[in-house]
Amino acid sequence: MTVASEKTIFFQALEIVCLEERTKFVQQACKDDAQMHAAVSALLRENDRKENPIDRPVAAAILPTMLSTGSGELTDPRFSPGAMVGPYQLMERIGEGGFGWVFVAQQQSPVQRRAALKIIKPGMESREVIARFEAERQAIALMDHPNIARVFDAGVTESAQPYFVMELVRGVPLTDFCNSNRLSIPKRLQLFVTICHAVQHAHQKGIIHRDLKPSNILVTLQDGHPLAKVIDFGVAKAIGQSLTVKTIYTRFTSMVGTPAYMSPEQAAMSTDDVDTRSDIYSLGVLLYELLTGSTPFAPDRLQTAGFDELRRIIREEEPPRPSTRLSTLNDDETRTSNVNRLGPPTTPSTAMKRDLDWIVMKALHKDRNRRYSTAGALAEDILRFLQDQPVEARPPSSWYRFTTFARRNKVAISTFSLVAIALILGTATSLWQAREAIRERDEKEVALAEAREAEVAANAARSELENFNDRLNSTTVLLAAGRANADAQRWPDAYEAYSEATQVLPRFFLVWLERGGLNAKLGRWEAAADDFAKAVEIGFPIEQAELNGVPQILLYAGRSNAYETLQQRLRQSDAEVPFAVAARGQLVGSVSSDGATELAEQMEQVLAKTVDSDANSESLTKRQRYAKIYYGVNLYIAGWAHLKAGNHEQALQRLEASNDANWFGRGIAKPLIAIAHHRMGNAEDAVHSFEESQAFLDRLLDESIERSKGSPFMPWIDWIEFLIHHREASIVVKGHTPAADPRFQRLQGFADAAIDG
Amino acid sequence: MAKVTQILNQIQSGDVAAASDLLPLVYEEMRRLARHKMKSEAAGQTLQPTALVHEAYMRLVGSEDIPQWDNRGHFFTAAAEAMRRILIENARRRHSLKRGGDRERYEIAEDDAIIDFNNAEELLDLNDALTKFADIEPEMAKLVELRYFAGLSVDESAKALGISPRTVKRNWAFARAWLGRELNVDEDR
Repeated sequence: MTVASEKTIFFQALEIVCLEERTKFVQQACKDDAQMHAAVSALLRENDRKENPIDRPVAAAILPTMLSTGSGELTDPRFSPGAMVGPYQLMERIGEGGFGWVFVAQQQSPVQRRAALKIIKPGMESREVIARFEAERQAIALMDHPNIARVFDAGVTESAQPYFVMELVRGVPLTDFCNSNRLSIPKRLQLFVTICHAVQHAHQKGIIHRDLKPSNILVTLQDGHPLAKVIDFGVAKAIGQSLTVKTIYTRFTSMVGTPAYMSPEQAAMSTDDVDTRSDIYSLGVLLYELLTGSTPFAPDRLQTAGFDELRRIIREEEPPRPSTRLSTLNDDETRTSNVNRLGPPTTPSTAMKRDLDWIVMKALHKDRNRRYSTAGALAEDILRFLQDQPVEARPPSSWYRFTTFARRNKVAISTFSLVAIALILGTATSLWQAREAIRERDEKEVALAEAREAEVAANAARSELENFNDRLNSTTVLLAAGRANADAQRWPDAYEAYSEATQVLPRFFLVWLERGGLNAKLGRWEAAADDFAKAVEIGFPIEQAELNGVPQILLYAGRSNAYETLQQRLRQSDAEVPFAVAARGQLVGSVSSDGATELAEQMEQVLAKTVDSDANSESLTKRQRYAKIYYGVNLYIAGWAHLKAGNHEQALQRLEASNDANWFGRGIAKPLIAIAHHRMGNAEDAVHSFEESQAFLDRLLDESIERSKGSPFMPWIDWIEFLIHHREASIVVKGHTPAADPRFQRLQGFADAAIDG
Repeated sequence: MAKVTQILNQIQSGDVAAASDLLPLVYEEMRRLARHKMKSEAAGQTLQPTALVHEAYMRLVGSEDIPQWDNRGHFFTAAAEAMRRILIENARRRHSLKRGGDRERYEIAEDDAIIDFNNAEELLDLNDALTKFADIEPEMAKLVELRYFAGLSVDESAKALGISPRTVKRNWAFARAWLGRELNVDEDR
């Protein structure tokens, strides 16, 4: 009982806008019941509180399913020394990586040799890994380079774990070697160049490493000279997904490496889209580390960053240049980092340092098109530097810096929009994928196959989403360009940008709404109606402000299907739509007289609120001036609503007042006034008012022709409504539609010419 | 899978009892989907219940003969409840594990370890409050389930529950305030 009444009081109190009155009401309603008063007050307080646990739909974060169980993994009896894996006998274990263990293995047949054997940890789809490896195998076999460790073989253990057999390299990771041997910068660069050549060789054979990092580059001393060997070529691809940021993230705890060497495109998780330039980026990180002692983004920072933050850093943040990094390393860091172990103090001149900066930053460019196109080119530039020749890498121009900035912002923008779009698109993709999966299952009915299908579907959905992300990026830029050009009245450019956006992302409602808006603004009604109809067909959130005037255009151009669909949605949604938009959208259609009455009442309330500011027109604040501008529109809408409601007296009063008020669409109420007079039986006044309306139309048309414009100087929504009203008034008052006016054709011609440049 | 469509049709034609058969089916399918997601997605990814619910719908009902909304309403009501159960079961499991405190044995069967929350306790509190609320206002509690656990919008919830969007908003305001009051009870005194 108490609850029922607390609910009732709560609802009633919500209706009261004024806080003071509301408090008073609650007090009165609860009379002597202090408990009730407290309960209702608490409810109201919660209602006003901005944050509430249920404000957002629940979203659950996924945690690793297998949490590290400490040292458990280290001892797997199946893979202890002495055990056989295929034809290989395991000997000592020499390493443990993110995806497996590495052993020295003795091969018995066909040749006796020692090799490194890498066993992939359980949890990977072995057959797939091997299949992928087989696909790459021929190419891998073609690689023959002194700086690349050869890959001999691949197989599956009895426990279905894939393994790889590689040339055994007894070396230490690149960075460790440089540091412990205190290599000078030129020596480091020379060693690095040989790595570049190795990578170049692999690239020429069509092999991308995808996981270049110090632990995959082992250095040995051969005849007193350091010899670098890149290991694991082709393995990364075979293990497939293991190199996207996601999997690396899940393996943080057990990983040897970090995402520090990962290229932005890898961080974007577009696995399909990783090419040789991704390796160039990783080489850039290596070079950075060789020069400064740390990777561009501190590994511990990347490790502690959340998943999204990690991706953002890699994709968006510009790392400090190597020389900056060196000079800003504080003393503490200098002592502990290996910078002080750079060996002989060969401080390069400032100019040289700058050159090195450019080389590194070029390799590290976020946009892979701006990186060195090949590892060989990177090597050449380093050699040029070593020989004191000007390097190919140039300092970025300011234009180029600007575009970098724009690009960064684009990413931010798109990330934002993506969240909003994710629901729409995510559902659409998953629907499609799910249907595919069901069909497949019906055909096969094999549980295993089903599981794999689902995984494939998930991957396909993901890559589709990634493609979408790319397209959204370009769309966002195109729309921004369109708006900027439209603001500057460069119509052809604006039109072109919008049109391109409609081609890049045709299923995105906004591209159609925006181009439609431009068309409408220029007076290209038919084209605008086509665009808007398209947007309606796709569907969009009804609270879009871009919706303003859309129903009007659809009605005027006779797109009745799209118009009806939109009207229905406007009627059903009851608040989020900006009120004036909704009101005008409804009034232009066949609104019921009850509906019109309600609208009229709401408009009157709005008017009542602004009427005070009209009192002393001398000292209008800016805000009041705005209120005044809207006052005119609001008078007009109110009058229109009254007219539709059958309230002719009030309609006349409001409409005439709107013609006296100062606003952009002043005068568009004239045809409505004619209709009002007609309905009231004042035939003479009706005809007279209609003539005024006609005169107003004549003036607008003539002015536009004089200015060679497709539309008069007035917001297009006002213009289109005026045309609709005038047509209606002609039918009501004169009994026929207005005669075809050749001036409209001329306007159309101007409008079309505007976008032709 | 045609079974779900069949049940929906039964409900449509007035067989209210059929509704109780719906939940277990929907629940199983959603659990299965969630598990799949867990395996194919990485840690830190967010699982969108909204997407899951819609995916379950597509798998169970399909889109061949786009059914009417009142039909779908039953489905979404069941799905929201299923989602709630899945998440709560998970939160409970996480919660008790955390309490167990034995980090070395902090191991979870893959099937089980579906979801974690930033704050499992918060969700469990909300769940308790919602259960309490359902005793008083069962319809409004259903609305909360639809919107919070299945991510339905105002309009969608209105259609699913067969009430007007305006009523949805009013009820939502009350549910929100009521739950807020219940959960913030210590904070404001």
